[in-house]
Amino acid sequence: MRKKIKKDVGTVLCTILGLVVALISLFPLIWMALAGFKPESEVLTVPIKIFPEKWVTESYETLFSDPSYNFFQTFLVTLAVALLGAFLSLAVNMMAAYVFARLEFPLKKLIWAVCISSMYIPGLTILLTSFLVVFNLGMLNTVTVLVLPGVAAGYSIFFFRQFFMNLPASLEEAALIDGCSRFGIFTRIFLPLSTSPMVIMGIGTFVGYWNSFMWPSMTISDPALMQMMQIIRSLRSAYSTKFGVVMAASTLAAVPPIVLFLIFQKHIVKGIVLSGLK
Amino acid sequence: MLVGAKAVPAPKNKMKRQDHVTAYLMVLPAVALLLIFVIAPLFMAVEKSFTDWNFYKSSVFVGLKNYRIILENEYFRAAVFNAFKFVLIIVPAQIVLSFLFAHVLAKMVRWAGTFTKMSIYVPTVIAGVVASVIFIFLLDYRAGLLQQIVMALGLPRQAFLADKKLATVSISVASIWLGFGYNALVMYAGLLDVPQEYYEAASIDGANGFVKMFRITIPCMKNIFVLLIIGLVTGTLQTFDLPYMMTNGGPESTTLTPMLYLYNNYRDLNKTMGYSIAGAILMMFLIAFINSFVFRIIRSEKVIDG
Repeated sequence: MRKKIKKDVGTVLCTILGLVVALISLFPLIWMALAGFKPESEVLTVPIKIFPEKWVTESYETLFSDPSYNFFQTFLVTLAVALLGAFLSLAVNMMAAYVFARLEFPLKKLIWAVCISSMYIPGLTILLTSFLVVFNLGMLNTVTVLVLPGVAAGYSIFFFRQFFMNLPASLEEAALIDGCSRFGIFTRIFLPLSTSPMVIMGIGTFVGYWNSFMWPSMTISDPALMQMMQIIRSLRSAYSTKFGVVMAASTLAAVPPIVLFLIFQKHIVKGIVLSGLK
Repeated sequence: MLVGAKAVPAPKNKMKRQDHVTAYLMVLPAVALLLIFVIAPLFMAVEKSFTDWNFYKSSVFVGLKNYRIILENEYFRAAVFNAFKFVLIIVPAQIVLSFLFAHVLAKMVRWAGTFTKMSIYVPTVIAGVVASVIFIFLLDYRAGLLQQIVMALGLPRQAFLADKKLATVSISVASIWLGFGYNALVMYAGLLDVPQEYYEAASIDGANGFVKMFRITIPCMKNIFVLLIIGLVTGTLQTFDLPYMMTNGGPESTTLTPMLYLYNNYRDLNKTMGYSIAGAILMMFLIAFINSFVFRIIRSEKVIDG
């Protein structure tokens, strides 16, 4: 009896503490979103006003009417780059992972070693020379330079290979006897069974592209191809005294990853639990 | 019978050859891209680190000179020192907080637990650049929210991003906020995986909570610790977005990181870059060394008998 009460107290305390931490995690984002709807005079006030006295959209209007930025276009271009990157990344890495999981062929070990060793090369080490590569290939200021270098990823190949190896071999035996090609087995049997890992990896890759900052800053100077984070950085300097505008832009920049996460959060939270254990 | 036995391998071999072709075609895109954008740049970096290369000049072999120059370069040294400073603040804080919070998550009422898991994960999808502008806003010298909390506590105004010590702490806090959700969820997963029988047996032997944590929970979660620590160390040593946006390496290079140092060098294409690349190569060895060290230390600890 006493033990049960003690347990209940623990549960209540943990629930309260947990919810407080949840609030602390969300608060900076809520604060950012609210700042975008305050008149500029209320964004930084002493004492603090949590909610806007009057909800206004002047910061958003300033953002969209500034002629030196085309925020809407940047949003769409960044979205297109991130979607294309995530799609290609899934296609390329899943194909390779399937091959490593199911097929035997000469030089398999060597090719596998190339894929895996790429995981251990820090981005920092190849920063300047990857720039040199795309510079020499004439890729600066193209969509290609934004998308292609991030497509193939050792950890993604590794992740899907693990998943495919756990699928039972009996799955494809019948199809093989019926004369289905290996590629057909991949597209018709393996792909439909992989929605969960695809969602996890696809969203992770999308978010990586959407949030990327250093690589676009190095390779893109054409305003038509500018990426979202470059614009946020630039707005931060241009509106150093108008936090409302910067917060409005940041809010919009945070929307796609958050929306995607909320839609697929069950998959993702479960996926972290699973991938974390491997 | 005999004919049949001979006939069987023929289509099989043909099948095999076909499989080989399929296999090569299917790995080709991934391998080609990795070779162009990862492996080739690595070999180029090794080669350039022994030359006085810049963008507009053909390279001349200079031996190990670049490695000596970079090791004597005060900015690079400061950057490496700062990177370790960030590792020593962020990694222990993140590991301890997420480990403890995993216990909280495990004990919460179900609906609240679901909500909390979701909420703490949201910041992990936020860009470093966005996190930076939010924290710059929260830490604003005139009237930032955290500034006002500090003042409400009766303390003097703080220059969070301009003070040498506070700038490091401010960036670390932003970094912990960004990564906490992922680390806590992985810890939580690891915690759920610890066999309950161990705790029951320990309770019968009269072990208290602390003993259970240090003798059962932590040893059982070794792999999780290795995974998270290596990820955090590797990530923190390559931090860029937060220090670039929040302080641009200042004040007085106290938040300059190796990545920021390399980025600043890239912007000046006339500059000789051989020695920066030598620094980048040294960082690779440093990261590999630290990771294998973490791996050995944690793996070598004795496990309880399972």
